[in-house]
Amino acid sequence: MTGLAADRRTFLKGLGLLGAATLVPGCATSTKSPGSGSAATGELSLQSNLSSEQAKAAMEKLVAAYNKTGGSQVKLNTVAAEIFRTQLPTYLTSANPPDVYTWYAGSVADSYAKKDLLLDVTSVWDSMGNYSKAMQSLSTSSAGQKIFVPTSYYWWGMFYRKSNFAKWGVTPPKTWAEFVAVCKTIQSKGIPPIGIGLGDTPWVASAWFDYLNIRINGAPFHRKLLAGEGDFTDPKVKAVFTKWREVLPYFDPKGKSFPFQEATSALLAGKTGMFLIGTFFADSAPKDALDDIDFFQFPIIDPAVPVAEEAPTDGYFASKKVKDPEGTKKFLTWLATPEAQNIYVQSSSGTAIPANPDGKSADTALVKKGKAMIEGAAEITQFFNRDSSDALQPTADAALTKFLDKPDQIDKILADWQAAAQKVFKAGA
Amino acid sequence: MTSTVAEAAQPVARSGDQAGGGARRPRRTGPRRVSPLILAFVLVPFVIEAVWVFWPALQGFWLALTSWDGLSAPRFVGFGNFSDMVSDPIFRTALKNTAIWLVLFGGLSVIGGFGMALLLQRERRGVGIYRAALFTPVVFSLVVTALIWRVFYQPDGLVDTVFRTVGLGNFVRPWLADPDTALYAVIVPALWRQIGYVMVLYLAGLKAVDPALYEAAKVDGASAWQRTRYVTIPQLKGVNSVVLSVIVIDSLRSFDIVWSMTRGGPYHSSELLSTYMYSTAFQSTQLGYASALAVVIFLLALAVILGYLIRAFREES
Repeated sequence: MTGLAADRRTFLKGLGLLGAATLVPGCATSTKSPGSGSAATGELSLQSNLSSEQAKAAMEKLVAAYNKTGGSQVKLNTVAAEIFRTQLPTYLTSANPPDVYTWYAGSVADSYAKKDLLLDVTSVWDSMGNYSKAMQSLSTSSAGQKIFVPTSYYWWGMFYRKSNFAKWGVTPPKTWAEFVAVCKTIQSKGIPPIGIGLGDTPWVASAWFDYLNIRINGAPFHRKLLAGEGDFTDPKVKAVFTKWREVLPYFDPKGKSFPFQEATSALLAGKTGMFLIGTFFADSAPKDALDDIDFFQFPIIDPAVPVAEEAPTDGYFASKKVKDPEGTKKFLTWLATPEAQNIYVQSSSGTAIPANPDGKSADTALVKKGKAMIEGAAEITQFFNRDSSDALQPTADAALTKFLDKPDQIDKILADWQAAAQKVFKAGA
Repeated sequence: MTSTVAEAAQPVARSGDQAGGGARRPRRTGPRRVSPLILAFVLVPFVIEAVWVFWPALQGFWLALTSWDGLSAPRFVGFGNFSDMVSDPIFRTALKNTAIWLVLFGGLSVIGGFGMALLLQRERRGVGIYRAALFTPVVFSLVVTALIWRVFYQPDGLVDTVFRTVGLGNFVRPWLADPDTALYAVIVPALWRQIGYVMVLYLAGLKAVDPALYEAAKVDGASAWQRTRYVTIPQLKGVNSVVLSVIVIDSLRSFDIVWSMTRGGPYHSSELLSTYMYSTAFQSTQLGYASALAVVIFLLALAVILGYLIRAFREES
């Protein structure tokens, strides 16, 4: 009998566990939020997608510094970037959402403003008069409200090893013709000139599309196309691919198999010549190799087109349903100050540049050069997904990786891309 | 819904009464009191199940008829999502790949698992090591398996080296990045794992076969092949239905290994229905269309398994 009793007890325990397990996964359409909403006691929740070790530590420092200033107490909740991205709509539409979120400026933020889910932070911008025009327009919704507080940005460029360029006897090219010549020289040394990493990170190819498009057709055309006001079968878009095809033979064929982190290793090991990438690649690079790293601006193709550069801007926005709008705005105002941005930039990997012009960026030649390039640009773009939406990105990934594989099918690829993009725009409308 | 609960609860209650009444088939003699404990055992799991399984599943069917981006309210579009599928080339690729997956992954893991079980069923010295070795991949999470195999497949990795050493260097290609090989390159590690699993199921089944049958067959002069064909295989009918269900369900829900190796790429060439459903739902945020894909997957699984079950029941009766 005792045996039976014990069995029953273990059975009940098991049942309890089972019940608990079924409670864990949420339901897609439920409006309950997994994040902790703020209590009305002056506590703010900050949902962060900066989950890499360095960035997370930097965020913890930042929050600790604010909590000492005596405003609301901020509670940091770090979520893996991929989960954050898929859950963000659920957070924002829930009844009791987290207050402040890390996110990206531009179209990806505006899409939430269009659904009236974001807090109007126009009053925060009163203290941000020194921010650049580009930052202002990036943070303004299509309805004309400020909905975003930018805190840092980084840049994209064609990175290379100085010692290798010296060894191969090439100098950084400025124009497309010079670029092609450099590719030829490097290839003649038996090295694939252009590195890329598309396995797992196919979105890296979008940098090429973005840059070729803003160099050939200009930033306004690029933005319109990504907003669904253009057509990917447009001959102007095809011209981008015709240009791209001129340098396809110089791409590293192995780049299709590995992610950008390994493409970074390949560049640092001298197995490829150059690599079009954002400065975040430095996170996974050894520090001593970084001293040998330099970059050049994506070559100019048509001098008549105003020069645009990709400078993805990171920052924060807040939910419309925050419990304590004043406390939230106070926190956002603090995040916009040079002091706050310095804390973050100094503790993170060091290639991010503070969005506040008075903020101090890392004192390296590389960062100075990057900052000067962005400040000298006539137009700023963000990146493919940030200028359109995360939903459009997979359509670009499919089209661009297919183009790299089968460039002669370009007409079909563009038609398929347009059809896929149409579906995304229709679903979002 | 509540009536089914009551119906389900009653036989339980009756069998509980058997000891006291002694009658094998109790007649309806007025309302019987059902023990509250038993009622709780039936109702509590049912309520949990209803809230966390049935209700979301029903919602999934409803969402399949809508266009929904996860932000605004779902918009009813009738069967629009399903008619879109007909003209969706990616859906067709995913469907075709799922069929290939079902046949190759399912078929080969049954053949391989059964073969291994036959080879390793006899107790010999060291046979445990072989069984353990074949079963080890089952213990790994599929994501870990995917990571290991990605290292094998990487440029100049193990697979390339082996091909070059045996003089097949011309066949070397970016296995996971070539649209012609990506799907098959993912099936191999999936099989590597599944064969061990199916082997264990068959080993258990083989243990249950009465050795007297083999002896009788031997006395009658049956060859080894005949013993397998006419004794072993018919005796394994019960295991077969389990294996078939496991295989069909595992094939249709195969997701983790494909996602962690290729993400359905390059350009959708290794897309399965499951990965396509995930990417439409959480990357393209077309949740309505993704729900419609989920409904298709559900119907496919149901059709295959129901088909088999109906046949099995008919043979029994």
